[in-house]
Amino acid sequence: MKSEILYPGAFPMVRIELAEGEKIKAESGAMVACSPTIDIESKMEGGFLGALSRKFLTGEKFFFQTLRASRGAGEVLLASTVPGEVVVLELDGVNEYMVQKDGFLAGADGVTIDSQMQSMTRGLLGGEGFFLLKMSGKGMLVLNSFGAIHKIELKPGQEYIVDNSHLVAWSSTTSYNIEKATSGWVASFTSGEGFVCRFRGPGIVFIQSRNPGGFGAWVRQFIPVSE
Amino acid sequence: MTMSSNALCFGDEFSASGIPCLVHIEGHGLTITFPPDHDGGESRSESVSFSALTVSAGGLDHDQLVLTWTGLAGQRTLYLKNPDVIRVFRQAAPDHLTMPLEHAAAQVRQVRQRHRAVWTIVGAILVTLVLGLWFGSDGLVELAVNRIPVEWENKLGESAYRDFLIHQDVVKEGPAVDAVTEMVRRLAKPIPDNPYTFNITVVKSDVVNAFALPGGYIVVFTGLMKKAENAEEVAGVLAHELNHVLQRHGLERIVKQLGFVAVVSIVLGNPPGLGGVMKQLGVELMTLKFGRAQETEADVTGLQLLYQAKINPEGMITFFQRLAEKDEGRVEWFSTHPMSSGRAERLKIELAAMPKPTLEPFSFEWAKIRTSLGPSTSSSP
Repeated sequence: MKSEILYPGAFPMVRIELAEGEKIKAESGAMVACSPTIDIESKMEGGFLGALSRKFLTGEKFFFQTLRASRGAGEVLLASTVPGEVVVLELDGVNEYMVQKDGFLAGADGVTIDSQMQSMTRGLLGGEGFFLLKMSGKGMLVLNSFGAIHKIELKPGQEYIVDNSHLVAWSSTTSYNIEKATSGWVASFTSGEGFVCRFRGPGIVFIQSRNPGGFGAWVRQFIPVSE
Repeated sequence: MTMSSNALCFGDEFSASGIPCLVHIEGHGLTITFPPDHDGGESRSESVSFSALTVSAGGLDHDQLVLTWTGLAGQRTLYLKNPDVIRVFRQAAPDHLTMPLEHAAAQVRQVRQRHRAVWTIVGAILVTLVLGLWFGSDGLVELAVNRIPVEWENKLGESAYRDFLIHQDVVKEGPAVDAVTEMVRRLAKPIPDNPYTFNITVVKSDVVNAFALPGGYIVVFTGLMKKAENAEEVAGVLAHELNHVLQRHGLERIVKQLGFVAVVSIVLGNPPGLGGVMKQLGVELMTLKFGRAQETEADVTGLQLLYQAKINPEGMITFFQRLAEKDEGRVEWFSTHPMSSGRAERLKIELAAMPKPTLEPFSFEWAKIRTSLGPSTSSSP
């Protein structure tokens, strides 16, 4: 399985080459084009209950699509709905990533997707909801973002502060606390940041350069109110 | 050579995501084997003795065992997640690590307990909210409805009444209209401080039904009059409908439905897909339960009204008994109306508790009224 990011930047596409018999799972609707040797199946990852809990708990889609090179080698082209960069990671069976609900684009068959509950403070204030996707297992993992993806590398004990709405994914060796952006409650909200996440290494944190919620609020002001 | 890793190692010369490695626990300490480099090098190993290690809990959920030491290559941090490896490490660790290991285990337990406690509290709050809504909403609705003036109710009922009648075949005059008007007049007479003027309309239809709209607008279908064997049965149904108006049930229902939808929307937001279906289902079930409570209330107060108007209350009961024959296969939980057989039984008990009524006959003969409506058909709702 080989992957290549085409047109890197705001409107990228991922080309994945599959040998005969290989398959990948992708977010429902992610497939742009593929070789005629590829079969597209809709699959409830983790069975019905797994899919149901993912749908309910993380807001992710109920079905993932499985793209299988069942009639010979071929390639698939994948893209996300929103404009933004994609990043390809390799899971080796030991490292795990927590991914916010819109961050998953595609993964190798060996990648396991679970929904994992967060603590109450993180769920309430983290802006990612109470449940996140946990990616574990082995193989390629493709994440997408809104805007550009920036990788923050944290050494053991090193800290970094991230606005919660800019999070894409982070390794499970990191830990984080939710805190007010400034020391005062009023200033925290008038600064426009509200709550922030203080990450502590070791591990990697992927952030996106734009905030989807903020963009939505900005667009909303131009939409005429219907009668 | 392929090797399966069981830990992640962090160090100054490694990338921030850490290097997967294979940890072996031996008598003196650990041996960590790193996989060969991508450019085809050999795998290499490092050893560290137990005495050099410091132990803590780490990771997102504090569920990983973190070992730290300073070796020849500088500071090293090892994240162990595999429960088997952690168990072997705990068994092999010498005494001086027992305390820190216990401390790390206590930290993990504490985090889990706190998670459990918080979620239990949230669950309890949610359950209380749902139960409170289920059992305590009637009082709130009544409070809200009492603040709405009767004129508003009249306007609401009138517009619905006019809309309904546009497409109906209304019986404008005749013995049937005179009969129901007399019944309503007699029923309304004993009501103290009645703020409503009852408007009664007979509609030509084989549907065995009658209904009341807010503000006192009552519709009786000829099908119901044909089905009734005596005037007291029709008067029983009318007494029931008048009480829907007097108890302001229509308004209560509107307020309850609006309020309940608002509360559910605040709690659940606007969930897509199955969540939305569950929300809709919850609102429907709540409305149905409310509907049954109102019907029972209108039955009981209707019976009292018949008694005060000196009309034989038995008519109401016999009519429900006749309706009960059609109830087979209906599930009460999914109905706005209680089962007719249950209603008849309840009314019998209520009636038994009342003193014997003094009865005054109607001025008309019911058989003649029925004949004026034409032949009876078997169709029913």
